Amino acid sequence: MDILTNVLTTAIAPSTAAFALAAIGLNFHFGLTGLLNMGQAGFMLLGMYGFAISLSNGLPIWLALIIGLAAAAVFALLLGWPTLKLRGDYLAIVTIAAAEMVRFLGRSQSLKDLTGASSGIRGIDYKEPFETLSPFPDSIVTIGPISMHGSRSSSWWLTTVTWGLVILFSLIYWRLSKSPWGRVLKGVREDEDAVRSLGKNVYSYKMQALVIGGVIGAFGGIMWALGNSVQPDSMGRPTTFWLWTLLLLGGAATVFGPMLGSVLFWSALTLVKGVAGAVIPDTVLSPTELEPFSLVLVGVTLMLLVIFRPQGVLGNKKELAFNG
Amino acid sequence: MLATLDRRVLLRAVLVFVIAAVGVTAVLTMGGAAEAASTDPSAAATTTAATTGGTNIIAQNFLNGIVFGLLLALASVGLSLIYGTTGLSNFAHGEMVTFGAMLTYFLATQQPVSLPLIPVEFTIGLPFIPAALIAVAIASGLGWVQDKVLWSQLRKRRVGMVQQMIVSIGLSLALVNLIQWWMGGRPVRLIQAVDPRHQYGPIQIGNQTLISVGIAVAALVGVAFFLQRTRLGRATRAVSDNPALASASGIKVDSIIRIVWIMAAGLAALGGILLALYQQGMSFDDGTQLLMMMFAAVTLGGLGHPYGALVGSLVIGVVAEMSTVWLPPDLKFATALGILILVLLVRPQGILGKAERVG
Repeated sequence: MDILTNVLTTAIAPSTAAFALAAIGLNFHFGLTGLLNMGQAGFMLLGMYGFAISLSNGLPIWLALIIGLAAAAVFALLLGWPTLKLRGDYLAIVTIAAAEMVRFLGRSQSLKDLTGASSGIRGIDYKEPFETLSPFPDSIVTIGPISMHGSRSSSWWLTTVTWGLVILFSLIYWRLSKSPWGRVLKGVREDEDAVRSLGKNVYSYKMQALVIGGVIGAFGGIMWALGNSVQPDSMGRPTTFWLWTLLLLGGAATVFGPMLGSVLFWSALTLVKGVAGAVIPDTVLSPTELEPFSLVLVGVTLMLLVIFRPQGVLGNKKELAFNG
Repeated sequence: MLATLDRRVLLRAVLVFVIAAVGVTAVLTMGGAAEAASTDPSAAATTTAATTGGTNIIAQNFLNGIVFGLLLALASVGLSLIYGTTGLSNFAHGEMVTFGAMLTYFLATQQPVSLPLIPVEFTIGLPFIPAALIAVAIASGLGWVQDKVLWSQLRKRRVGMVQQMIVSIGLSLALVNLIQWWMGGRPVRLIQAVDPRHQYGPIQIGNQTLISVGIAVAALVGVAFFLQRTRLGRATRAVSDNPALASASGIKVDSIIRIVWIMAAGLAALGGILLALYQQGMSFDDGTQLLMMMFAAVTLGGLGHPYGALVGSLVIGVVAEMSTVWLPPDLKFATALGILILVLLVRPQGILGKAERVG
């Protein structure tokens, strides 16, 4: 019973929604345009740094939000500039390298005053402006089997806002993917040369997709930071790989794929950890080994998904020709 | 197509490398001189520190860079060969590096060790050198198994390159966590004894490092000899050039690829063991960190070009180590990755790559 409550709490948790948000961004890159962005965690991290550093220096929350998102947009422009004219795997290598660079810079001692080095930025330094906006009571609220705080940290307030954003951006994705602009992007995904021969500027379209997806990723990062704290090492390569797994699980190039994928991924992870912790004796699998064990399963799931069901739960195999 | 490596290409590579090295050194020395000229007391302190004990910090860092570059080259040659023959950017290559070091530790340590899911602790405790040799052999075997069970099946199913790349990412995620599960989160040391450093003119180097460099150079020369002089090596280069044509002229492409996998995995494991000695320890995710450097090196040298990996690794190694003269050491890797992005702007095909359209 405890395990089920945990699973349910994870399924609606704000960090699950934040991952769904970042996956929607990745869906703009990969699902719609076929760009191999292996550095989505870098966009998230930049977003949260921009947001948290601005707020802890006393800027208003709307300006902090704009700064966080602008940082991601500039990052996308910088990355796209050398690589979008090259073959797909160059973008993959450069984005993963650049995301790691952001993390190395963030945890470097030389920027300690700004980023707090490897210990990051504490939640109290930047969460308050958001939490004071909360219309929910300032105490623990229990709805059904789930109890969360009304407005602090991972709260009902944050849950409402984050899932609201997920729905908003899913709607935007749905509208844009049906628009003429979205059709050009799908054309780029399927056959770049054909689109080029129709007189479209492929480079510019790819750049637009990269920027939009990156900004949504930064939004996801900001929402994640509001529920946790700014920690450079929590946004390393594994985070990007989780995003890919959950996007492919839900179904790339679909409207609900990122949302469903995130809920399934995190619930399944909690379920596996809960069941394994309860069933397998400690001598065989100690509690400290549970984390790597469940991540091994994530890796294997990603492999099996790509090999046997690249379209995921919701996707359409024809739509996803994986033209790299 | 099967002609030996174009001399002009080789010359150009050496030239680029020498110019880059000279340029970096010149900039650094001038920077140092300018700093010394300034009246800033902290700058003066750095310059005095730079020459304490007869060790020239610039020469020392250059040497460290070459050592690191050679060891990195061992790991990245395989990555480049795999890319050349199959077109796969193998994201799980870093784990082969960690695996080599971890397996050596597993075989050689006097501490009790265990396997995942088996609640029995035991000690193998082989002497270091046999343990390392067995580890390299097992790792090569694992390369064979990997290709047999996974990659050749994917090629047979005609799974696209992008999908294969994502499969390798999944494999990397699974392996790195398997290694953590197996060995725990703390770094392991292969040899407990500290390697004393000896002074040679303006530089210091330990005997252990000298031997490592010797082994690395021998292995790299061996690979070069294999590629240039043996029938199999020539066939490998042919597959790398044009698989369809190679297949049509009677080369068994699949068995060549399998040999490449065996070699790549073995070299990566050897590189991992030597790196673990050089850095005095290896943690479960060091190989994954190193993968970024390997990709930078391979892309820098020219994707798929076996000698490109060597040139790229040396450049990356030297740049990373030299940057510590004037940047904080924790930005070492960030600098190297920055160089990668800059090079892609100017010369996307890499230093040795053919000028061709890559997009």
